[in-house]
Amino acid sequence: MRCLLIAWTVLIEAVRRREVYAIVLVSTLLIGALATTRFFDLQGVSKFYREVALQIMTIATNLTVIIVAARQLPREFESRTIYPLLAKPVSRFTFMLGKLLGVMGAGVFCFLLFMLVFLGGCWSLDVFVSPALFAQFLYLQVMGLLIVATLSFALSLLTNLDAAITMGALLYMLSSIFLGALTYLYQFSDEAVKVVLKVMVFVVPQLSLFDLSEKVVHQETWPPVPAHVVVELTAYSLVFSGIFFGIALMLFRRRAL
Amino acid sequence: MNQPGTAPTPVIEVNNLVVEYGSRGHPTRAVNDVSFSVNAGECVGFIGPNGAGKSTTMKVLLGFMFPKSGSVKLFGNEPGAVAARQRLGYLPEVTLYYPFMKARELLFLYGGLQGMTRAQLKERIPGLLAQVGLEGRGDSQLKNFSKGMQQRVGIAQAIIADPELLILDELSSGLDPVGRHDLRDVMLDLKARKRTIFFSSHELSEVETLCDRVIMINKGRVVMESPVAELMKPLNIFEVEHELEGKRDTITVNGAEKFNATLTDILSRGGRIIATRTATRSLEDYFIDIIRGHEGGKA
Repeated sequence: MRCLLIAWTVLIEAVRRREVYAIVLVSTLLIGALATTRFFDLQGVSKFYREVALQIMTIATNLTVIIVAARQLPREFESRTIYPLLAKPVSRFTFMLGKLLGVMGAGVFCFLLFMLVFLGGCWSLDVFVSPALFAQFLYLQVMGLLIVATLSFALSLLTNLDAAITMGALLYMLSSIFLGALTYLYQFSDEAVKVVLKVMVFVVPQLSLFDLSEKVVHQETWPPVPAHVVVELTAYSLVFSGIFFGIALMLFRRRAL
Repeated sequence: MNQPGTAPTPVIEVNNLVVEYGSRGHPTRAVNDVSFSVNAGECVGFIGPNGAGKSTTMKVLLGFMFPKSGSVKLFGNEPGAVAARQRLGYLPEVTLYYPFMKARELLFLYGGLQGMTRAQLKERIPGLLAQVGLEGRGDSQLKNFSKGMQQRVGIAQAIIADPELLILDELSSGLDPVGRHDLRDVMLDLKARKRTIFFSSHELSEVETLCDRVIMINKGRVVMESPVAELMKPLNIFEVEHELEGKRDTITVNGAEKFNATLTDILSRGGRIIATRTATRSLEDYFIDIIRGHEGGKA
């Protein structure tokens, strides 16, 4: 219950603050503008719209989550609201969990807004989206957001607000490039380096695994992801989120306020 | 509550508390071997100059900071224990409450965290807002609140669940005279209902009026601890304002015998007594003497 009250506060902040609205509004306008394009033949329009709109949705939601998550703790310290909050019968674990739930709620709220705009665009362009694949896309995005949110929490406790947002955004943006670079390097490396590269693949969270937008774009040729893969990715997300959340909690518990 | 003849129950117990800030190589000692206790139903003022260690001690009491050595107990629990925090209200020093929230929403949040139900809060909040002088401002956003209004909201959140113990840091900070007057009423009401109050303030007249006991801290050490009544009791010093041979004057004498002799002398010489006064010292006088003396190494 206390956890949900803290989450509710984060959600109110996300909904009422202008920064988040700015991201949502700009992205919505972009998706809306895409929905009016008529440059290609019917199939071309459909693919172009799906590809660009889904990328905008993904990037904008992840950025929103990074910003909202990274500022939760530094802002509490700065305005000193952490004191009356933790003077109530709320443990530091409950506080952090509430914050995480709130950030995830804000991310899902953002995503739902985008989804409505996206589906409106699909309807206007007469674009068909496979419901099963789209549901998987949304679910895995949320799983990816969980990693991003917990990582941003940990970064905000290790550094300051600005550094946490910058690093969070960079890590998110570079994640797919990083996996591509590792895969490329792997081909030309000797055995010892290959072992290191393999370890790196497992140690660094691969956020691109949670992005099914390409599949949604090419849904005509790609079937939905098998259920066991979704389960494995869920476990993968929970492991990394658990590690990052654990680091954040450990730092926060030991911190003098 | 304490029964007559029984030992008072300590609500706050601080023993040989030492708190250090900063790096391991060059730590700054903010609190140095501080010990005191506050009993149930007492109102204790914790005073001292800026940087004396008041807020740090309070933060340790609440589990926000960790001591280097010594022990702290709140209702017999370790600082920061959820069980203890269930029974206390805390007003932090200068806080800017969530600007995106309305006053009523904020109180719903804090009351909810304290375990109050929605129905209880709906009943409690309007009266509470009126009590702290924010009647009709429940639906105003906190970003539009002045510093004094933020402090009033802070007081409201601290007392929302009618806690047994109140820890108030810089109680009247940012409040105008009306705000201070309202606050004094709130505090007197809490005192009348035998709540335990431990607060810091730079308003020494406020401490004088409200407190049963005062603890003075300077440079991390307790430099004075005394019941306020003891400090405020009349001194054995008298002032005699009189008129003698057409000239008005005031004589200060030490002791009752000298006072009587002075009166007799003036009257026998045909003089007139205009007024007599017993001299007292204010808490501020003590404060300045002790702190200056302490700084000069006399205390």
